[in-house]
Amino acid sequence: MTKNAIGSIFFLAFSCFYFFNVFNIKKMPGSQFEVMTASTFPFYLGLGGIIISLTILILSFIKKDSDFLTLEYLKKLDFKTTIYFVIAMLFYGFTIRTLGFIIATIIFLTIGFLLLKEKNIKRILLISSGVSIGFYLLLNNVLGVYIDPGMIYEYFVGVDS
Amino acid sequence: MMDGILTGVVTAFTTYNIMMVAVGCFAGTFIGMLPGLGPISAIALMIPITYGMEPSSGLILIAGVYYGAIFGGSTSSILINAPGVAGTVASSFDGYPMAKGGQAGKALAIAAYASFTGGTIAAVFLLFAAPALANVSLSFQSSDYFALMVLGLTAVAAFAGKGKFLKAAIMTIFGLMLATVGTDSDSGIARFTFGRLDLIDGISFLLLAMAAFALSEAMMNILENHKQTKEEMDALKKDIGSLKITKEEVKEMAPTVGRSSVLGFFVGVLPGAGATIASFLAYGMERSIASAKEKLKFGKGSVKGLAAPESANNAACSGSFVPLLTLGIPGSGTTAIILGALISYGIQPGPTMYVDNPELFWSVIISMYIGNLVLLVLNLPLIPYIAKLLTIKKELLLPLIIFFSLIGVYLVTFNNFDIYMMTLFAVVALFLRIVDYPMAPMILGFILGGMMEDNLRRALTISDGSFAFLWERPITLTILIITIIMLLMPLISELFAKMKKSKEEVQQ
Repeated sequence: MTKNAIGSIFFLAFSCFYFFNVFNIKKMPGSQFEVMTASTFPFYLGLGGIIISLTILILSFIKKDSDFLTLEYLKKLDFKTTIYFVIAMLFYGFTIRTLGFIIATIIFLTIGFLLLKEKNIKRILLISSGVSIGFYLLLNNVLGVYIDPGMIYEYFVGVDS
Repeated sequence: MMDGILTGVVTAFTTYNIMMVAVGCFAGTFIGMLPGLGPISAIALMIPITYGMEPSSGLILIAGVYYGAIFGGSTSSILINAPGVAGTVASSFDGYPMAKGGQAGKALAIAAYASFTGGTIAAVFLLFAAPALANVSLSFQSSDYFALMVLGLTAVAAFAGKGKFLKAAIMTIFGLMLATVGTDSDSGIARFTFGRLDLIDGISFLLLAMAAFALSEAMMNILENHKQTKEEMDALKKDIGSLKITKEEVKEMAPTVGRSSVLGFFVGVLPGAGATIASFLAYGMERSIASAKEKLKFGKGSVKGLAAPESANNAACSGSFVPLLTLGIPGSGTTAIILGALISYGIQPGPTMYVDNPELFWSVIISMYIGNLVLLVLNLPLIPYIAKLLTIKKELLLPLIIFFSLIGVYLVTFNNFDIYMMTLFAVVALFLRIVDYPMAPMILGFILGGMMEDNLRRALTISDGSFAFLWERPITLTILIITIIMLLMPLISELFAKMKKSKEEVQQ
């Protein structure tokens, strides 16, 4: 399948989903007398999205588009590491509130370096802890940005008042 | 006007703001140098830092980052033939052959002098063009603004490149759709929130910009698993040689720099065009007017071939500030990000900014001179050392870029839902990159979405629900006619190409 066709199918699905949800937007009493309601603009956008994505899809077949998403190209891509990175990012989002900024950041960076096959453990630990502690001190002490220390810290040490 | 300029000079020349220009230029140079990370990513990464600053200091820092990123992109183009920014691709045509021939220092110096001259000439133009256009645009009404936004979005699609018009158009609509998520500013009704409180305020522009650019670019690097080749590493470790340029070379490139700067500025002013188109046009123009003997040098290390795109891309950067500062309409992805930053500072760019915030308006223009000077005086001598940063392994750099992207967004709201949402958008952006859909139109659509809807609502209310406002005012009508011409441009050019081809076939 061509790149254009694959992209257009994604947008067609998204535009249809968006368009049908336009009808779920609530209407205010008396909105029938208004020239433009909360759903007017989204209605035309949804419609426009469906028309354009359909046009791209049809044209990709009519014009005999040759820009294919080939299996050779896909085989070259490192999906495994990328998926692990996505999981690591989601995990970071979860741990930043529970474990706190410093511990969560050290874990995230260490996982990141290891995923990209950095072998020097000393370097990994030095950079991950240095960046997280340094950044925490910079934010809290220099820029005056308070970062929540995390639920674990609050549980054991208590909340500062 | 003189009062405004003086206010701008006073604001821009405070120690703090000069420091911000320098920091911006350095940070931009470094980020722009990294292949794959362009000015949009560089600016997006710096925005969280600017939230605690005065708007003028924040914008000055961002403008410095913009210039620095373009300059940094040239450095990697010249040294390792890996442009960090699309606007510097043309610089590698002659810059890289020069570097390969042992004249890397000279090539970098030519790039720096040409960029400085281009940026300075454009800043002078900006000084006069911006207030003039701002005065004209004071008479604009909501219908004109609506038409202008349609023009801006259409132009971005029209300039997207051959065969990419519809792709850019759907990306623009995608951005506009995302902009409608959250509470409707007029009625207060929640739209597309699916009952989630986290979506009530809509999607943050910073989140979307970071996910679509910095994060997805870093993830693309991981996905494609690009490793620096031995040749690239050797080129970076090698001595770059002398930075000196001879008098003859200066004489040779002076007219080129002048012409390319003027061309670059005007291309930059056009919505949708920008540094990339400006640099290619300037390169093409210089090549076409060169003598037969000089033409042979192009692509093999021509001084003119390097100076032309370099002066044009920097001039275009300044030019792109004209529609942003005077109309509040960004003409490119980069200026769209800057517009988003301004809105988050609580400032609405447009003709009123020139009246309401003269210190901001003028200080940004004045800081452009300082930025160009910083790039020339400080960055050029330091380039051999900054370039060494490129030897840092990607295994160490990529997780750090991802961390800074995530934490930059988290620090604004302290809501971990933003990290989840950002990850989701980055995955979508990654998919769209693989299937070759451009990101800049999406961010432009997203940022203009709210304003476009507000102006359409106002125009419809004034005209009592009738769409006659589209042709009743001459300004609106003129802008819409230009829009239609732009919309038809890809079709017309395709038709011309077909006619030319069939003529050639008949002749054969």
